[in-house]
Amino acid sequence: MSAIEQQGVALGGLEQAELPVARPTRRRMPTPRAAVLRGLGFVFVVALLVFMVGPLVWLAVRAFSGIWQYPRFWPSHWTLQWWRTVFDDKSLGRSMKLSFEFAPVVTVASAAICLPAAYAFSRFNFPGRRVLLVSLFATNAFPKIGLYISMAGVFYSLNLMGTFLGVVIVQLIGTIVFMTWIPTAAFSAIPRSLEEAARDVGAGPLRVFFRVTFPLAAPGIFVAMILSFLAAFDEAQGTFLVGIPNYITMPTEMYTLVLNYPEQAAAVFSILLAIPSVVLMSLARKHVMGGKLAEGFQIR
Amino acid sequence: MVLPPVAVVAVFIGFPVGAAIAYTLGRAGGPNSTVALLAQRQHIVHHGVTTAAYREVLGNPHVRADLWATVWVTLVTIVVVVLLSWAIGLYLRLSDTRISRIVSALSVIPLFIPVVIASYAILTFYASQGFIKTLAYHLGWHSFPTLGYTLTAVAIGEIWVNVPFGVLMMSSGLNSVPNALIEAARDSGASLPRTVRSVLLPMNVIPTVIVATFTGIYVLGSFTVPYLTGPSAPNLMGVSMANFFSAFNQPQQAEVMAMIVFVLAVGIGTIYVWANVRASKRASITS
Repeated sequence: MSAIEQQGVALGGLEQAELPVARPTRRRMPTPRAAVLRGLGFVFVVALLVFMVGPLVWLAVRAFSGIWQYPRFWPSHWTLQWWRTVFDDKSLGRSMKLSFEFAPVVTVASAAICLPAAYAFSRFNFPGRRVLLVSLFATNAFPKIGLYISMAGVFYSLNLMGTFLGVVIVQLIGTIVFMTWIPTAAFSAIPRSLEEAARDVGAGPLRVFFRVTFPLAAPGIFVAMILSFLAAFDEAQGTFLVGIPNYITMPTEMYTLVLNYPEQAAAVFSILLAIPSVVLMSLARKHVMGGKLAEGFQIR
Repeated sequence: MVLPPVAVVAVFIGFPVGAAIAYTLGRAGGPNSTVALLAQRQHIVHHGVTTAAYREVLGNPHVRADLWATVWVTLVTIVVVVLLSWAIGLYLRLSDTRISRIVSALSVIPLFIPVVIASYAILTFYASQGFIKTLAYHLGWHSFPTLGYTLTAVAIGEIWVNVPFGVLMMSSGLNSVPNALIEAARDSGASLPRTVRSVLLPMNVIPTVIVATFTGIYVLGSFTVPYLTGPSAPNLMGVSMANFFSAFNQPQQAEVMAMIVFVLAVGIGTIYVWANVRASKRASITS
């Protein structure tokens, strides 16, 4: 285990087996109070299960339902016809393809713009550093719709309305905070002594960066990239405002679908739209749960 | 190296926000001219500024109702998310069983689901023929209220979306408290609630502040959750902002509402920055 991973363990995350404090208790008959507490705990877990997973299951079942009458807990007739409806619709297929074009472009552009900045924020203590970090955060505080309305004016004058680049910029803006903060924390977590040691044995600055710094910061950068990809992938309002009529992505399509299609078709589309998120987040799960996300939100 | 993102933010956020401020104060020139061209009910001045747009919007009883709805839903969401994240975080910190691992997995599920879908799923779950109504029916409670398209559903949706971030922050914070400290407190006779109050709570002020402020800012600016799950009126400011812009063709009024929400969000953000700066000052003194 590397020094950084050890540090990660010391800092903690959700998934560490050795952390919880096991009280050496004498085994005895459970008191009524303990039984009540245990019962309450059980109710809490069940309530949490219903609250968190219930809506998703309820929606997923709908995607396969033919006849489902209230107040039945499940459909009386199952069907796959809604999947055919969705796959036969050409415009839905196009929007899926577009979504998968925009999100990677935005992620790469965002990384190219923000990662050097993240490195600078963590390694150099220049005047105004903290002010800049905080002002990036302030961009999150302005309501998006207000921003898009006013941005429309700028986009019109730059001829960006209805263009690919315009949509990329709108989606990019939502990724800048993640892409700067989380990698900044990841770079900061690397002890300078490691880089200095590599330099002492004769490695040049570039070699130090690519052989020492980057691999150690990679999990944090990876989390930031996944979050940016998903932020771009899920962005709907700005894309709608800037992209119509040429660029309708999946989440934008989802709004119309929810309002105009039968519930079952919307449910099918929901499942399709959720697949990339589930797959990508599963890849990053270990690092996100291990505290990489949490670290990014403390300004140092 | 810092320049590119700062430049992107300055050009595509800073500049439009500046233009928006000018527009709400009655200036329709420059970057606002395109938007102002077709807009209705504008309050325009050619010299100086006017607060007429603000007076109109704040004098509108519907907007005031939306504002209160926004404040209430935000407060309720913050309180519930903080309590829930603490409860789950503590549970994960103090016990390591199969159930606690299930709880940890459950609490981050919303991270995996796009907000559009989550909102839609929550709407159908609490709708007039949704699961909750069905369950209440089978339990004999036939008059159970329908929550879909109410502010309660909006709050439920916002809580659902914000729980994972809260739990991740709190468990990261709670896990950084060394076992030795907790054991020392317990060994000297402190009860569990006492240990939480005197050891874990003071050491986790910052994560708590982060959870509360980010949740607040998220809810204030949110659109998707209230748009899909909420009532037509009063709803959160994000939705009425969009209505004023697209349905009523009154961008100036929409921008005024954005400014009001921004002021609230900046108020919350100030707490976050203040807490962080205080903490890092303290850290630099002790280290």
